[in-house]
Amino acid sequence: MDQSSWQSSEMQTRLRSAIEGLDEADAVALAREALEAGLSPLDFFRAVIEPVLTAIGDAFSRLEVFLPDLMRAGVIVKAIQSEVLEPAIRQSGGASTSEGTVVIGTAQGDIHDIGKNMVALMLQVNGFRVADMGTNVSTQAIIDAARRENADIIAMSSLLTTSLPFIKDVLARLDAAGERKRFMVVAGGAPVTTEWSQAAGLDGFAEDAIEAVAMCRGLMAGRKGVAS
Amino acid sequence: MRNTTRLLDVLDRAEAGPIVEELQWDMQIVPQAVMGLLAQHKIKMPSVADSVVTTDDALADRLFEAGFSLAAQLGAYCVSTSRRIQFTREEIRTALEVAPVEVTIGEGNDRATERKRKVEDRLPPFIKGGGVGTPLPEDLYMPVTQSYAQEPLIDAVINCTLSHVYGRELRSRTPWEVLAAWHEVELSKTACKRAGRPGLALGCVENAVSEIGELSGTSHGGFSTQDWHHIAMISEFKTDYMALSKLAHLVRTGSVIHAFYNTIYGGSCGGRDGMALAIVSGCILLQMLYMTNTHSVSPAHPFYDNDTTPEILQAISLAQQALARNSRLMTDVVITPVGGPGTKTLLYECAAMAIMAAASGATGLIGPRSAAGVNIAHVSGLEARFTAEVARAASGMPRADADVIVRRLVDLYKPDLDKRPKGLPFQEVYDVVTIKPRPAWLEMYEQVKGELRQMGLPLA
Repeated sequence: MDQSSWQSSEMQTRLRSAIEGLDEADAVALAREALEAGLSPLDFFRAVIEPVLTAIGDAFSRLEVFLPDLMRAGVIVKAIQSEVLEPAIRQSGGASTSEGTVVIGTAQGDIHDIGKNMVALMLQVNGFRVADMGTNVSTQAIIDAARRENADIIAMSSLLTTSLPFIKDVLARLDAAGERKRFMVVAGGAPVTTEWSQAAGLDGFAEDAIEAVAMCRGLMAGRKGVAS
Repeated sequence: MRNTTRLLDVLDRAEAGPIVEELQWDMQIVPQAVMGLLAQHKIKMPSVADSVVTTDDALADRLFEAGFSLAAQLGAYCVSTSRRIQFTREEIRTALEVAPVEVTIGEGNDRATERKRKVEDRLPPFIKGGGVGTPLPEDLYMPVTQSYAQEPLIDAVINCTLSHVYGRELRSRTPWEVLAAWHEVELSKTACKRAGRPGLALGCVENAVSEIGELSGTSHGGFSTQDWHHIAMISEFKTDYMALSKLAHLVRTGSVIHAFYNTIYGGSCGGRDGMALAIVSGCILLQMLYMTNTHSVSPAHPFYDNDTTPEILQAISLAQQALARNSRLMTDVVITPVGGPGTKTLLYECAAMAIMAAASGATGLIGPRSAAGVNIAHVSGLEARFTAEVARAASGMPRADADVIVRRLVDLYKPDLDKRPKGLPFQEVYDVVTIKPRPAWLEMYEQVKGELRQMGLPLA
């Protein structure tokens, strides 16, 4: 093991411990020390944050850690990004560490939120900027939020078949406004199936929080590929 | 005991309790309270490899104490007002002392009485058979409902939902919800009449996602006060004006109330221990909020949408024992398997749930909500008959014996959970004219009954 990988491993252990103890101050201090020692924000994200969050995500997929653990990771990563990495990036004029921006909410008429919260947290801990609109979000409200946040992806959740038509309404409203290509629209929740999502014309659907991260990454890779 | 005074108390507190942000409730207040009480009461369940139907009475009693404390510490959260609805320990104690221990539902010759059961009780659980909200096309609604209503061991039917009404897509809280509620009335009542059980109680209004479906479906010419009417508590420990409006209507019409709470495995309450604690506390809070006759739980797996994984079975078993040993609350178990009609997976899952629930003191069984309740028309009456037969055979069985059979069943279906074998839709497992199971489905049912007898279950 060379010195840099040893240092990464030590920093990962410290970050993991800060997450477990919800120690924002130590996590922020760790990021500052790393940048002062010469690591770039992007290198810090890739060498330290990403492996730790991947490990937490993997553990969640095996149900060895739970929502409160994801919540702690989300809080810590958000603090590091907003207090250390993003200011440093702005100062140097470099590329953002964000994987993309997702506006998420439970569809109109549905008030279930735990599954949606899990997806939001998994996206956040995997580097996405997430604006969570809560539950029973009207079609117009989620579109307005996507415009405001300059989102890449609109993600909607529904556990009720009676809320699925409202997801289709989002697509129809975007079409009518000539903005269908501006946002990628995805959905999840028990009644959302491959067949339904294809018939509705969605850009993607996921059966759970783990799949949602992979799907959004895939969509963003496609978008960046097109952009380049 | 239900009365307007308690209803007004709940409504007043929803408008006067402490204000907190919903995110703070979900992310801080609930997880911290759960973790604190698990540690304080030393709630640590055994490995599922060693025990699924638990036998530790001291642990069950500690879990009840912790659940009582959690209900008193948290109360419920009203999403519509962003306020906490709180109850004192004395109020909770009094409410639990006067909670009903039996309820008679249905009418005429088809009336049936659900009674409180003890752990290892010889009295079989009350059977509420049906697809529990599984979506059905309009043309199959009556035959599917009849397939449950015609089963003699079923004490009441729990309705499915409609995927469309008059051929149109349904939307919650719109006029379509009103029309769907009325269509549910017409089709489910006709199905019971065709089955020769016109007074059979119906679990309703399943198409009432919001209050308007309940208010219209439970009115003149609609569902009766002797049907069993549903109100949900949202995960985790949340209510809103939609649910409270249903409550106000059901209290003032004197209707039978059944309330449910489905905590999420791995959610704000954490893993197995937190899930068991949430079930106990959730049932107590259902009683406090909704003055309900019967309560039910169906914890949801975050990836499979079911409640038959061994971890969830174990949490339900311990929580049911805690409630059966320490309270008067009548608590049902909803069966939500991944398997669908025409699969052995479904029958193994139903058998495991029925045996666990019967031995753990559950008052009743609801379902099965086959194929996780999300695949159109993937339900049939035969799995409800099978569940009732297994539950009767397991009633009075010692928990240790039940545990052996349940773990053998779990071994049989666990490898299939992530494959979610949804099986076949109703029309492929039943003749939709005669409403009889097709030979292949019937043969599979007989085969699995044979396997259960070999495992030691005294099936008739």
